[in-house]
Amino acid sequence: MVAAAILSGACRSDGPRTGGTAPVKALVSSVRAEPRTFNRYSGRDSILEVVTDLMQDRLVRIDRRTQELEPRLAESWTTSADGLTCTVKLRQGITFSDGAPFTSADVTFAFRAIYDEKTGSALGESMRVDGKPLAVSAPDPSTVVVRFPSPFGPGIRLLDNLAILPRHKLEGALNAGALAKAWDLSTPPAEIVGLGPFVLKAYQPGQRLVFERNPRYWCTDARGGRLPKLDRLTLEIMPDQNTELLALETGQIDFTQTEVRPEDYATLKRAADQKKISLVDLGVGLDADSFWLNLRPNRAATARRPWLLRAELRRAISHAVDRKAFADTVFLGAAVPVYGPITPGNQRWYSPDLPRFDYDPAAARRLLAGLGLTDRDGDGVLADRAGTTAGFTIVTVRGSTALERGAAFIAQELKKIGLAVEVAPLDVGGVIDRVERGDYDAVYFRFLTTDLDPALNIELWISSGSAHIWNPSQTKPATDWERQIDSLMARQIATLDMAQRKALFDQVQRIVAEQLPMIQFAAPRISLAMSTRVAGATPALLRPAILWNPDTLDVR
Amino acid sequence: MLRYLTRRVIAAVVLVAVVSSGALLLTRLAPGDFASELFGSGASAQSIARERARYGLDRPVAAQYVDWLARAARFDFGVSLVYHRPVVELVRQRAANTAVLALVALLVATLIGLPAGIITGSRRRGVVPSTIRGLSIVLLSLPSLITSLVFVLIAARTGWVPTGGMGSAGAWEGGTLAGLADLARHLPLPALAIALPLAAMIERVQSQSLGDVLKMPFALATLARGVPRGRLVWRDAFRPAVGPVAAIYGFVLGSLLSGSFVVEVVTAWPGLGRLMYDALRARDLYLVAGCAAAGSIFLAGGSLLSDLVQAWADPRLRQPEDGKRAGEAA
Repeated sequence: MVAAAILSGACRSDGPRTGGTAPVKALVSSVRAEPRTFNRYSGRDSILEVVTDLMQDRLVRIDRRTQELEPRLAESWTTSADGLTCTVKLRQGITFSDGAPFTSADVTFAFRAIYDEKTGSALGESMRVDGKPLAVSAPDPSTVVVRFPSPFGPGIRLLDNLAILPRHKLEGALNAGALAKAWDLSTPPAEIVGLGPFVLKAYQPGQRLVFERNPRYWCTDARGGRLPKLDRLTLEIMPDQNTELLALETGQIDFTQTEVRPEDYATLKRAADQKKISLVDLGVGLDADSFWLNLRPNRAATARRPWLLRAELRRAISHAVDRKAFADTVFLGAAVPVYGPITPGNQRWYSPDLPRFDYDPAAARRLLAGLGLTDRDGDGVLADRAGTTAGFTIVTVRGSTALERGAAFIAQELKKIGLAVEVAPLDVGGVIDRVERGDYDAVYFRFLTTDLDPALNIELWISSGSAHIWNPSQTKPATDWERQIDSLMARQIATLDMAQRKALFDQVQRIVAEQLPMIQFAAPRISLAMSTRVAGATPALLRPAILWNPDTLDVR
Repeated sequence: MLRYLTRRVIAAVVLVAVVSSGALLLTRLAPGDFASELFGSGASAQSIARERARYGLDRPVAAQYVDWLARAARFDFGVSLVYHRPVVELVRQRAANTAVLALVALLVATLIGLPAGIITGSRRRGVVPSTIRGLSIVLLSLPSLITSLVFVLIAARTGWVPTGGMGSAGAWEGGTLAGLADLARHLPLPALAIALPLAAMIERVQSQSLGDVLKMPFALATLARGVPRGRLVWRDAFRPAVGPVAAIYGFVLGSLLSGSFVVEVVTAWPGLGRLMYDALRARDLYLVAGCAAAGSIFLAGGSLLSDLVQAWADPRLRQPEDGKRAGEAA
């Protein structure tokens, strides 16, 4: 039996709570869209995640800065030696914002709700191991036993996503098969109760959400002081990013949910120099834009141009793009060159010693010549032995400045080595449609990182995964290197020792760096801007950057 | 007149049916759908397929359209895929916000545009008419995105009015007067962004129309009899000259009530235009069709209003059939 009892360091559920007549402490933030529901079990939009972080709580939470797991509603937990069973002891004496007690029945309800077919929860999809749901039981009101269907490396880190919503408010809807419709935007705020630091005071459609301190919030700071420190937090709905930035500069809002765009940095830096705002540099971001070729076999295009499937072509592309110039042009210098999908921002899983096919146009031409792609008629454009022009079209998202600029830069660099490359910007639905149907040569796109642990993004890595973008949902691995990745990831997921998991994933990253099914060129540096009034913020790279931890936010 | 109105109402119903059907079908047939945004979020192909089935997006377009049409005929435009709420309810809520903005903008545009058009229409030369004409052309040439952003920038730099939104948090808690005062502080920015280009258009139309009327024989004869020019303009020429402005007025009102998505997005005004924009981005086809239907209802209503105002301005239009018969008899 392995026991891992972890006690709360930052958050306590006991100690004095101060009242008093101090002035109202309030901050205003902005969101670019409004939530579509208040029900985390049925919704899946990013604004709902922010709202959920404010109003709800979970058993455990990943500290977005350190990546360590920290207890929340769970006071401690023990994991069995085989890693299959985790026994969680809940904090006692906690109540929801309406005064109803929190017990293990709320936790079992949460699992029942997310696995409910009629609810169709996106959480139910992610809260599975090897496609199977977790089995959860509650032997007593303060104990929950979670049983994994097979050994699972991340363990209860998986529960970081699971907000515990009140059984006493939602069980009726679940039993009636109507949970998906519960807590929609017309629900009176008083009906939406939670265990989080804030309660919803008002929702004005298209305008704002106003949250007030939950007087029954269970958590206090290390000295027993009341949390959250704020009395009120308002989220103004501002769809336009330019307006949002002007509102920030002029003090109408205190912070936003989005990082500073490279083109806005100079303006905000001036405002920071004038002490109107403060700029926080979070370092290299987690998301690097990805370029990939369609590696699905048996396409008509690859029958005519079989070299599209060859690793040599992908290596030549990597050699052809000057990553430093890419960072300077696409991200206006606010980026660092990268050589794989895991950026230096993901400190826990990043592997710095990977093979690199760095800028070397001569090497790129040699690789292409090895594929039989040469300039046969002296026009500077390569062709294969059958006379087919060596070229392809890159599909990217229209309206995304960074993606359009990036795709244009790649096309320009590839033209220098004789590849005839065109860029086709489509709206985002068009890009996704083409990718889903496999109707493309190459794509340049940005995926947003939602979980840092590769085991929680398994669909991307394994050949049968639907998010294995270059050749998804394979019935058996199409290549030897994909078979190797499948095997390594299976071991990586089932291994409980973190060092071993890292070593296994390093091997996966090495294979990916050699085979380049996805090519990354640069990862942007991330900066956040906030008013100088904001105190106690703990910004992190994972979204929501500031509101993941709203407890400690304060007014200076 | 009754027959005329009946014909116009039937035409309006056809217009609404065609526009909303077109919006629904185009949104449905465009690449990608409401479930596409799951792509890249780690969701499996099965999960995406389930989501499509849940919202009926896996059904044939024709079947989906026929179902929707049958419901729409009973004024049930379905439930929004995004918000899980009846489309009619969402549209009604946002249309009210847009109506406030549209009516204020139209009033401002009229108060600026009409007198300006009379000044430029009655005097061809001079610093004032030339300046007004120049300003009008600039305002007409500027895309509404730029106009909105300039106003937001001015608001941000001066702090005279809020940079966006329709009201401050808790403003209505202080009573109706406090709420209205707060609304009045938020209105100038989006209202001016809409009103100024509109004022320029009204000025141009009014100016041209008045210029034409002042060249008519009756106007020249009046001037020749020594009637002052100002009196001629305001007493005799204004009413016949207002016809062309009235002709566009209804269309303008209709299009304003449909919502200006650019101004509403930039100034964070929670109106119909922004709702349509959000619905299009999310591929919420029922909400798109509902917004399009509302827009076309406003347009049809506006066009009807135009005709009525024109009939008021020009007595010959009131009884066209009687006039025609009288002509035939003669």
